[in-house]
Amino acid sequence: MGLRSYILTRILLTIPTLLLLLSAVFIVMRVLPGDPVALHFEKRATPETMEAMRRVLGMDKPLWMQYVDYLSGLVDIPYLFEHGYPNLGKSMQTFEDVGGQIFSAFPATLELAIYSTLIATLIGIVLGVISSKHYHSIIDHLIRGFGTVTYAIPIFFLGIIFQLIFGVYLRWLPTGLRLSPTVSPPTGLNIGGIHIATGLYTIDSLLEGNIFKFFECVKALLLPSLTLGLILSGIFIRLTRTNMLETLRLDFVTAAKARGLNESTITYGYALRNAFLPVLTMMGMQFAILLGGAILTETTFSWPGLGRYIVDRINFRDYTAIQGAIVMFGLFVTLVSLAVDILYAYLDPRIRY
Amino acid sequence: MNKIDLTIAVLVLIAIIISSSTLVYTTTVMSNVSTLTSDVSTLTTSVGNLTSTIGTLTTIVGDLAEKVGGYSEAIANLTARLAAIEAALAAREKETLIVGTTDSVELTLDPAQAYDYFGWCILQQIGGTLVAVKPGSTTGADFVPELAESWNASADLDVWDFTLRQGIKFPDGTEFNATHVKYSFDRAIGLIPSIPEGAPAGLGYDAIINRTEVLGTYKVRFYLNFPFSPFLGILACRASTIVNPKYAPMAQVNYTAGDPRASTPVAFVGPYYLAKWDRVAGRDIEIRLDANPYYWNATSEYPKTEHVIFKFYSDPSTLRLAVEAGDVDMAFRHISATDVLDLQTNPNVKVWWGTGAFIQYLCFQEKYAPFNDTRVRVAVTAALNRSALCNTVFLGLADPLYSIIPPGMLGHTEAFKKLGDANYTLTRSLLAEAGYDESNPLTFDLWYESSGHYPSSADQAVVIKEALEASGVIHVNLKSADWASYKKNRDDEIMQAYIYGWYPDYVDPDDYAFLYWAKWIHTNYDKVNPDKYNQQVDLYNQARATTNTTLRAELYAQIDDIAVEMCSVVPLYVSSAWAVTKPNIYGIYLDITQDMRYWLIYIGE
Amino acid sequence: MSKIRSKLNVLKHFISEFTSLTKRGPSGWMVIIGVIIVLAIVLMTLLSPWISPHNPAATNVGPIRAPPSAEFPLGTNHLGQDMLSRILCGGSIMLQVSALSVLVCFLIGVPLGLFSSYVGGNVDKVISLIIDAVYAFPGLVIAIAIAAMLGPGVINMALSIAVVYIPSYFRIVRSQVLSIKELSYVEAAKAIGAKWHTILSRYIFPNVVPSIVVIATINFADAVLTAAGLTFIGLGISKAIPDWGWDLYDGWRYLSSGAWWIITFPGLMIILIALGFTMIGEGLSELLNPKLQH
Repeated sequence: MGLRSYILTRILLTIPTLLLLLSAVFIVMRVLPGDPVALHFEKRATPETMEAMRRVLGMDKPLWMQYVDYLSGLVDIPYLFEHGYPNLGKSMQTFEDVGGQIFSAFPATLELAIYSTLIATLIGIVLGVISSKHYHSIIDHLIRGFGTVTYAIPIFFLGIIFQLIFGVYLRWLPTGLRLSPTVSPPTGLNIGGIHIATGLYTIDSLLEGNIFKFFECVKALLLPSLTLGLILSGIFIRLTRTNMLETLRLDFVTAAKARGLNESTITYGYALRNAFLPVLTMMGMQFAILLGGAILTETTFSWPGLGRYIVDRINFRDYTAIQGAIVMFGLFVTLVSLAVDILYAYLDPRIRY
Repeated sequence: MNKIDLTIAVLVLIAIIISSSTLVYTTTVMSNVSTLTSDVSTLTTSVGNLTSTIGTLTTIVGDLAEKVGGYSEAIANLTARLAAIEAALAAREKETLIVGTTDSVELTLDPAQAYDYFGWCILQQIGGTLVAVKPGSTTGADFVPELAESWNASADLDVWDFTLRQGIKFPDGTEFNATHVKYSFDRAIGLIPSIPEGAPAGLGYDAIINRTEVLGTYKVRFYLNFPFSPFLGILACRASTIVNPKYAPMAQVNYTAGDPRASTPVAFVGPYYLAKWDRVAGRDIEIRLDANPYYWNATSEYPKTEHVIFKFYSDPSTLRLAVEAGDVDMAFRHISATDVLDLQTNPNVKVWWGTGAFIQYLCFQEKYAPFNDTRVRVAVTAALNRSALCNTVFLGLADPLYSIIPPGMLGHTEAFKKLGDANYTLTRSLLAEAGYDESNPLTFDLWYESSGHYPSSADQAVVIKEALEASGVIHVNLKSADWASYKKNRDDEIMQAYIYGWYPDYVDPDDYAFLYWAKWIHTNYDKVNPDKYNQQVDLYNQARATTNTTLRAELYAQIDDIAVEMCSVVPLYVSSAWAVTKPNIYGIYLDITQDMRYWLIYIGE
Repeated sequence: MSKIRSKLNVLKHFISEFTSLTKRGPSGWMVIIGVIIVLAIVLMTLLSPWISPHNPAATNVGPIRAPPSAEFPLGTNHLGQDMLSRILCGGSIMLQVSALSVLVCFLIGVPLGLFSSYVGGNVDKVISLIIDAVYAFPGLVIAIAIAAMLGPGVINMALSIAVVYIPSYFRIVRSQVLSIKELSYVEAAKAIGAKWHTILSRYIFPNVVPSIVVIATINFADAVLTAAGLTFIGLGISKAIPDWGWDLYDGWRYLSSGAWWIITFPGLMIILIALGFTMIGEGLSELLNPKLQH
């Protein structure tokens, strides 16, 4: 088939997948008990006011029409260019643009996801390689034990222990939020008329040239990403270890050893490179999952990201917002897995479709 | 027994031994850890002593250096400059008050629509009402002039005249006058229900106010639909904030949450204006209030602090940690009972106590059995143990409530004490009449709200269930639903018994007494017991038609007596109020309005 | 008589396989330790009504938030309930929810995977597409949405967790079947004229079982953690029944006031049981991975 046709097929396949996802979300939302209209009123719920609110929320139209409106909003390209985010409707609870809300919550989740995945992968690869090299020794058992145990810890449990140790007893790090109260958020690069801001506080503060802010951001980011990273590292340890072990048993390694190449060249130059691909796939998948918002971490650390957003919206039965969030998440996961698959196919000459 | 069975038996035995010994070991380790921690603290004090000795040594060395001479002057200059910088920093710090909270503006800052505590809180700092409740008021009935200078009501209490304060100017030069008042109230009424964009604030002004008339540039008159003595209370609440017509279209509610300009309709009349409003994904991140240069009361020293910054935390535990870590200057609401009692012993935290007005009550669905039978309702009410509830769940920071009107307010009684607490003899005898006894206990579902809308609702339910079941003739099934489903269940009338709560809109018994029969609570009390219902409504209407406090108190007492007879809505407890601050914060008034007036707060020594 | 004997033989065979695990190196030991942990906890939960010193749901049996002492070895919580009794009894809901969700996943995911991959072609493509769509859902969000939708309850929680894990079963089964399908002995069976259900049950399914067991154990571990997470968000079952998840949630609120024992012990129990299952799963997957055989 060739790489190009493979990519094309995959891209084409994502469309029906996404469509299925959207429809499923739409249906699920309508089945949820709890009326978003009623949530707007405490006392004064006369039939006229309920009707009026229903009209405002677009809920007076028949279901199929709401579905069509919803889908047509998604492919509204002019809106996308005007606002920078797709038309996902208006929140049923606050009437703000859902797209705007999601994209304002997104950078926080993105930042957390990036650093957590990096930490998890780093710890995972390093420990996995060490573990595989000392196969069946004490170090191996300890590392494997560590990997297994960290995955079994509830994330909020670890999170609050860290908060208590580093935030309350030692007072080294803040206990929550992206930034301490008296520091204003970084604004990014501002030279002449050029304005670049990524929304990622760490990068923006560097762009701004404010080292003090950068350290404040890192301090706030440290606990949540460390917690998440530690918990997730178990997967990477196991994966790296297994793949390294497999690769180290392959013939070409024995051949390299026979030829007299030294240990580290074999480990890092040959074995790790081959073992790395599955790790890359897993990295991509984990990252995509984290983009959906690590709900428990965000709640524990008051991190204003997508996870908390989704949970709030579910409480308010904010159909449009939940739909929008899940759709965006589905999009991320699909895109990331597509990118990872393509990268994999590109890097691994053994795979030809 | 052959080898294999033996192996299995041994394995199982080992498993039991391992798990039990692990438990024992863990407990001993943990108790050792606590002794270790005390040792560490004694060590720390010794280190502290050492440090002070080092301090004295340093001063001696300093003296020596002075004697060497020459450098002492330079040092003195440097010290002076340092002191000046520190003073400037300290002064700067005193200008900003950092408040931690877990609230968030729910929807909008438009007074015609906003109905959440925090939205109202912000509105109070940036906008103005005709009258206000005096800070520190215990009854909620001490009104002071704000945008109105004086007022009087007709003998029938259905026509109210207000003389407005003169000389209040908006930034664009317009002067505040009676037309603004009329516009604000016409808008509040008119947005119900004819305009699709809008939906009313919870106060139902259209039911109360017939029309507003401008009598003169600074004189305005309200015609009410019925005699209404608590009218000042209504005017003092946030939904009566005056708007600037230029920025508040008659037919549209201002929904641009997250934009400081969303506050412009009401802004520049109050002590602060909204300088910054950061909102991410429907939740506030930071709100900043700056002192309003156009404040009508600017000649006074208010606001006492230049800037107020609100920082938003996701839950009370994190907020408490922030208070302890000194990340915020103060926190009000959303500090749990346990946390505030702990913080009392913390030397770096000052705790302020005040009157509470938040109540919770138990409702019975009267449409079906078993609670269509009054005896059953009274029996269950008698079995309640309010003190256990207040002491176990709220650690004494809530008080048992025996009338739907909380203490401090006009009309409060101890009516429900008639039925007693944990009065199991009464419970058993009444239930026996209705056909329930030990072999055939009364079984019903008790519902509570599970998404945190009310404090410790799950714990409350557990304690209430225990108290009821201790009677021996009641069996309770606990059920829960999150707020959205809870409301739907309430409206669908499928919950047999459920716990609800109330926070006052305006501080007057008029805003509490109706809870006994409110239709939106859906107990069907009005349908099942129409005579009693009509009696109570009649007394209620009489009470709001007079300003005679003795008469009103009597009428509310009569309402309470009927309520005790019928037990359709049963008061449970009233919460205390508290705030926690750093030791150098002053000016906190925790009065019955539950409002926090940030412009009175200042940072001292 | 012979039927009983043959069943006993199967049991003996199974048990001897199990005990032989000790000879299979550290992975074998992992499995054994995991099994012991799980069995211990299950036993403890089963025996709890008889061995708990106090009624775990009774409030004020002791002072509020009392630290561990002789009378209350694990201390008391904020309602004065005895923590030891709550620990002994608290696993039942979590175990029920996890077991139920694994069962549902197994009953739906495995047959679907078998069917889809065996039939192949367009049917396989369509089903895989649907499953991929479900897989793209954020797991915890789905669980939360469904739990909010159905309300609290053991079955509802189990269902919401199961929905999230079915795709994993499907994928594992499918990938296994796809590789087995092409093997020569399956072809031979087809050549003889064996029916599809015979092929599936006698040739394919037994080879798929090991992977299913592995993922079932990991599923169990994750279900325990997700159940705890759901209770943490407030979607747990009613508080009248003692549950480790509720203790975690309460313990969190009181940790900052120094009452470490309310969250630590339930946390340890949850870690322990999740660990037990993970160890079984990991150990088994290592043992079954042919590429790692010396």
